[in-house]
Amino acid sequence: MLRDSLYSYQLLNPDDRLFVGLQNYAELLTNPDTLQSFGVTFGFAAGTIAVVIPLSFLLAVYLNGRLPMRAVVRTVVFLPVVTSAVVIATMWTFLLDPANGLINGALSGLGLPRLAFLTSKSQALPSVVLVTVWQQLGFATVLFLSGLQGIPNELEDAARVDGASALQRLRHVVLPLMGRTTLFVVVIMTVFALQSFAPSLIMTSGGPEGTTNFVVYNIYQTAFSLQQPGMASAISAVFMFIVLGISLVQMGLLRTKWNY
Amino acid sequence: MRSNKVLVVRATLRVLAAGVILAAIIVVFLLPYAWIVASSFKPQATIFRDLNPVGWRSFVPINPTLDNVVHLFTQRGVGRALLNSAIISACQVAGTLTLCSLAAYGLTRIRFRGSGIVFVLILMTFLLPIESLMVPLYQVVAHIGLQDTLVAAFIPWIASPFGLFLLRQAFEELPRELDDAATIDGAGHLRIFWSIVLPNVRTALATLALVTFLFSWNSFLWPLVILQSPENQVIQLAIAQSVAPGQLPNWGETFAGATVATLPLILLFVFLQRFFVRGIAMTGVKG
Amino acid sequence: MIKSVLLCASLLMLAGGSARAAERGSPTPACPQGVLTLRLLRSINNPPQPDVVAAWEAANPCVKIEVNEVPFGQLADKISVLAASGNPPDILGYDGPNTASYAAAGVLLPLDPFLPAGFKDDVTQASLTEHSYLGKLYSPGTQQTTLAMFYNATLLDKLDIHPPRDLKSGWTWAQALEAIKKCQQGDGDDVAIWGLAPSHFGTGQPGFVYRDLLFQRSAGDPKAPPDSSAYKTYFAISPDGKTADGWLNTPEAIAGATFYRDLFNVAKVTPKAGIPTAFQDGHACFTLDTSYFMAGLIKNDPGFKWGVTPLPYIRSPIVHTGSVTLGVSSKTKYPAEAAKFVIDVSTGTPAEAYAHRARILPVLKSVGGKMPELNEYPLSIFYAELTAWGQPRPPSPHFAQYDKVVSDALRDIAYGADPKTRLDAAVRTLQPILSR
Repeated sequence: MLRDSLYSYQLLNPDDRLFVGLQNYAELLTNPDTLQSFGVTFGFAAGTIAVVIPLSFLLAVYLNGRLPMRAVVRTVVFLPVVTSAVVIATMWTFLLDPANGLINGALSGLGLPRLAFLTSKSQALPSVVLVTVWQQLGFATVLFLSGLQGIPNELEDAARVDGASALQRLRHVVLPLMGRTTLFVVVIMTVFALQSFAPSLIMTSGGPEGTTNFVVYNIYQTAFSLQQPGMASAISAVFMFIVLGISLVQMGLLRTKWNY
Repeated sequence: MRSNKVLVVRATLRVLAAGVILAAIIVVFLLPYAWIVASSFKPQATIFRDLNPVGWRSFVPINPTLDNVVHLFTQRGVGRALLNSAIISACQVAGTLTLCSLAAYGLTRIRFRGSGIVFVLILMTFLLPIESLMVPLYQVVAHIGLQDTLVAAFIPWIASPFGLFLLRQAFEELPRELDDAATIDGAGHLRIFWSIVLPNVRTALATLALVTFLFSWNSFLWPLVILQSPENQVIQLAIAQSVAPGQLPNWGETFAGATVATLPLILLFVFLQRFFVRGIAMTGVKG
Repeated sequence: MIKSVLLCASLLMLAGGSARAAERGSPTPACPQGVLTLRLLRSINNPPQPDVVAAWEAANPCVKIEVNEVPFGQLADKISVLAASGNPPDILGYDGPNTASYAAAGVLLPLDPFLPAGFKDDVTQASLTEHSYLGKLYSPGTQQTTLAMFYNATLLDKLDIHPPRDLKSGWTWAQALEAIKKCQQGDGDDVAIWGLAPSHFGTGQPGFVYRDLLFQRSAGDPKAPPDSSAYKTYFAISPDGKTADGWLNTPEAIAGATFYRDLFNVAKVTPKAGIPTAFQDGHACFTLDTSYFMAGLIKNDPGFKWGVTPLPYIRSPIVHTGSVTLGVSSKTKYPAEAAKFVIDVSTGTPAEAYAHRARILPVLKSVGGKMPELNEYPLSIFYAELTAWGQPRPPSPHFAQYDKVVSDALRDIAYGADPKTRLDAAVRTLQPILSR
């Protein structure tokens, strides 16, 4: 890959290649579209995590209680996790359709204005974040749930005897013990978010104006549609390098919190 | 007396709140599926009509038709795509189980210098977005002449870091005394692996098998790049092809495709739920 | 586990032979060399039509054609990947303007050795130019298409609007917009009848070059001095196909693109998302489409009167020529047989029958001579446009990439992006690819 990234050629005709040295990298670093795609991808990851973590934590706490239909809720929330990204992207393309979508149908039924969703520069990325949250919530919830179940009952009981309210117990007993699980969920969600591809391809074609042009989609487009595999390899290399950095930092954090 | 009343009110409120949350969760997660499944049995015009306004009609096919599904199988080769997906997933499961259990055995039972480093290195690949490797991977696979074959669709993924991780964990938990006893009886590594270790980690193997199947069945980008002929089409591509992107010839058909592609997994999941959940929980608890 | 590995191996064998190329079956009495199977890729609903293939197979019993299809929106990507895989289908149904791209990359086989003598003289000029690269012909051409504006006459009659029926009195976009606005019913979230139907070309989203680049090209002027920006706007790419900067993003082009954007965002007479069959269902007054669309309206009566008016323009009338066509893969093992199929179905009786039925414009003059309907309204409008206003889509050996980048830009503009910023960005992406 690193070798390919130093060449300029077409996949249609790979033998006709030209050595260009670091030119692909220079172009990449000055190309606003590529830079935007990196920004969008990391923004997307951050946005997804920011929503998924609190929601799934609350849901896990809720599911950890003694509730009727717990199993049903867990199954229902987990359904999108076993559904493929393609089906989900397809499904939501139609749910979010400005003219004939279910959500806009419901909105106008309630007398609210219809929204443009995927065709609007400002709404497209939040829409994709929302869909991803919907898909990954079950996964994160199960991770949190197993973390919660790892907390010895005695600890909570002791706090209860001391007169701590449910909220206080959550704040002072559960939260501090969930640090490591939270980090782990963050790591997993980061990996998932950075690999996102189907939403770009199926829902938005990376648009409008590149606001959902995720790096993996950008690589695919550059290599296959624009026939610049050399440039695509350069983008891959840079992306891998950044992700590796993030992963190392996250793993380091995980290690320091290894034992409690 | 008063405090009793307060307690009762509180309890009622709590049940009510729980009910509302429950209902909200079910609506948010189930309705989209209901809409897709119902619409796959409707002709196109009815799908639109039933949306204005949204009501119970949006989620129930009143005059159900099988046309969409039939058309998928007769015209769009969805049967073939389902078969291909099943073959690829089955092979990926078999390959992953074989390779990962052997590797996990090596890492846990055979002492060699740097085994810890090997493990960490393998783990790191788990955190990398493999998708960004598709161009070089494509070139490697094309170079050895495997492009556009079903083999190419799963071969790169059988060396699964996730699988290794999960199995190593299970292998570690197995008491060494078992192996020691077997060694004294004169059993070699292969024998120990086959007759002692494997039978004792059946649950972990089943979990890995399911999770691998899930990922394989749902994979999209790699098959999109590596498989070209329609006879090698996999189910996810077959659906994406009728959708992507924008307007389509036929909404009902697309929904039917989504339903057909998702149903096997949902059934599998509902019946074997505990393995899925266990697999995910294991990565979390013991990570 | 061993069992499952064995099972897997046997399953693979069952499914095997999947990466095969064209092949010959075993000899039979009728076909001493065996029945040859050729693979063909086409986009859905495009030539060669199934009955044409069946008729050819009947006439050539020793060759079978195995047809595979993809949606038009994915055709170019598919061919790129297939060509790179080293095992492309023997016959490719591809978009004509890509001829130079594919020829330059060695994907297509030149057909000159297989063509009957004098064939090139029979081909209309637009097709000859589009399907040639460095003097060689890569496709005989299956059809020509041009765009015109269809209207719902039942709706327009009530408003006493009567669109022109000849090129000379054809509307400008300003005139057309007035009629479109008048005819629209409802606004905001509640539109009963759209002024202009959404595009159903390509992916079904706005931005398809064949249709939507015409707005800005028509803001240029081919009669202006060749170094003027008006002239360059009209051509939208330099003659050598290597420069888009100063051709695609001129002030005139930006003005044209702004008009285009305002249709969606200011006048709001056309929706941003596709509505299947909006015009046929009576939910739109006007739609831009090819003569092929007519065949559908004749076959399935929409229940209202309709008519055709020449495509509106901003400063200079222009329509894009070129269409999906057939070529032979350079990698095929059976070039003679594949070329015979391509030439047979594109000429003679099959071509006549197809042109007649599908209401497309023929590529061959000899076929056109047998079609009196070409000079009768409404087909006459499309035919007159082809000769008087027709221009190829911006020719370049990198048209596939040009097409992709420009249609992304136009789609964003339709969604409301600033035309200047977006066209400049498209040029920036394109320039290194074009100049390579």
